Amino acid sequence: MTRIDKTTTAAEKSRELEMFFGPQHVGMVGNFGIILTVEGDTVVKARANPGYLHRGFEKLMEYRTYAQNFPLVCRLNVMDPDPNEALYAMAVEDLAGLEVPERAQYIRTIMLELSRMASHLLWMWAYGNMIGFDTFAQWAMGDREYIIDLFETLTGGRIYHTYIWPGGVRRDLPPGFAEKTFEALEHIETMLPDYDNLFFNNRIFADRTKGIAVLDRDEAVALGVTGTNLRATGSRTDVRKDEPYAAYADLDFEVPTMEDGDSYSRAIVIRMEIEESISLIRQALNRIPDGPAWRKTPNPFKWNVPPGETYVKVESARGEAGFYMVSDGSDRPYRAHLRSPSYPTGIIVLEELLKGASLADVGHIMLSLNIAAPEIDR
Amino acid sequence: MIEVEEQQKNKIAANFENGEVTLPRKGRLVVTISKESLCSLLLFLKMDGFEHLSLISCVDWLGEGELELVYHLWSYQKKIHAMVKTRIDRESPHFLSIIPLFRHAQTYEREIYEMFGVRFEGNRRLIPFLLDNWQGAPPMRKDFDLRKYVKEKFDVEERAE
Repeated sequence: MTRIDKTTTAAEKSRELEMFFGPQHVGMVGNFGIILTVEGDTVVKARANPGYLHRGFEKLMEYRTYAQNFPLVCRLNVMDPDPNEALYAMAVEDLAGLEVPERAQYIRTIMLELSRMASHLLWMWAYGNMIGFDTFAQWAMGDREYIIDLFETLTGGRIYHTYIWPGGVRRDLPPGFAEKTFEALEHIETMLPDYDNLFFNNRIFADRTKGIAVLDRDEAVALGVTGTNLRATGSRTDVRKDEPYAAYADLDFEVPTMEDGDSYSRAIVIRMEIEESISLIRQALNRIPDGPAWRKTPNPFKWNVPPGETYVKVESARGEAGFYMVSDGSDRPYRAHLRSPSYPTGIIVLEELLKGASLADVGHIMLSLNIAAPEIDR
Repeated sequence: MIEVEEQQKNKIAANFENGEVTLPRKGRLVVTISKESLCSLLLFLKMDGFEHLSLISCVDWLGEGELELVYHLWSYQKKIHAMVKTRIDRESPHFLSIIPLFRHAQTYEREIYEMFGVRFEGNRRLIPFLLDNWQGAPPMRKDFDLRKYVKEKFDVEERAE
């Protein structure tokens, strides 16, 4: 004989539990929390809980000169730092009216594509770990090291490069860099069939991810989704094609898409992009023109950028990354605002897609969206 | 070269008399408009193919006593990035939420509320976003002095002048 106590709340009756997913979690690269309301094994409600990596970069940038901001911007995204450097450089160039030498544009393209590959390989590590493919995950992490070595050769830094700089790039390519890059690309290319056999063509992976967390094209656009997540819904949109920057207009590449918009499609799009990046870097290295890699900028201690505003954008590994910069004619930015692709996907889209999901899927839904926490918090 | 932009400019100018349209470069369109007409302009642009809201920015113009809201829209067909700007009063700022037009504006509005103190009517989720237990003035405003705050809050002595 049970008697329902009138004082129990609705939540207690339905046996809903609140569960903290993160902020320390192996699945998320960076600290990022989700507060889940679960009933049994099903997620009823999810609330994203960002802010653990908020470093106030946008405020800090208003206090620093244009040259001092240079080492700040790459730290906006740990996994994929170069698009942020490129954005900052492009914004300052646009405001100051600087021309970038052709050679620097090619070096930037190589840098951005290497960064995309490094980010995708790191994602493969995290995603593989999440679904239980540890061997695959370690392979991806190991192969990422080849790209990190290239970064070290080129810039001296492994993770943060502070390399793309208003007016061009900081240094020209060192001797032997092209050969070393071709070797690394060759190695990664020979690894791709192994990745496919072990993971991407694996039935277990498909069973686990097909039909999970589906977004269709219109909903994705309405929620501000860009990049690989939007391309997985069948939309062929890419900033590199829509508004070519660096040397992308001269290079030949495809934009891979998938139709279904589920976790599986998002993973396959990322896998296909690695091949495109390899081809892009090869083309750029073969066609790179001679000339200077940097056009001299004014004295950085007395560099007043003319007043104005600009919005520039690039395609980072996650989607459209944009930079809105306002200058009032002084030696520091009046306002700098980063549009990160993870911002919509990490908050609104994630909350939407987790509704009704199984608790076991939370990790790989989160990862399939390829969210970078430092980009959300800034 | 910038035909599509010109057409778009004329279209906006024909429908919104108080909107001032400029074309800074290829693929960019800037509209400055009064706050009363802003929402109808956004609706007009959305119906006209600008379906992607990239970003909502806020700029604090301390000297003029105004806050500027900048709505960044992108059209996948026309390949134009439109920046729609409006100014609101800096004292007790409030504005209409555009969630009915763009659902994910919620997060941007939430951030602007936290960082600039602009209250968006119709947004029910103006709860703390990035900051933790913040009691002070909105920190992204120009009159919030970062160095002074750090000195007072953490009792840091200034060593070098």
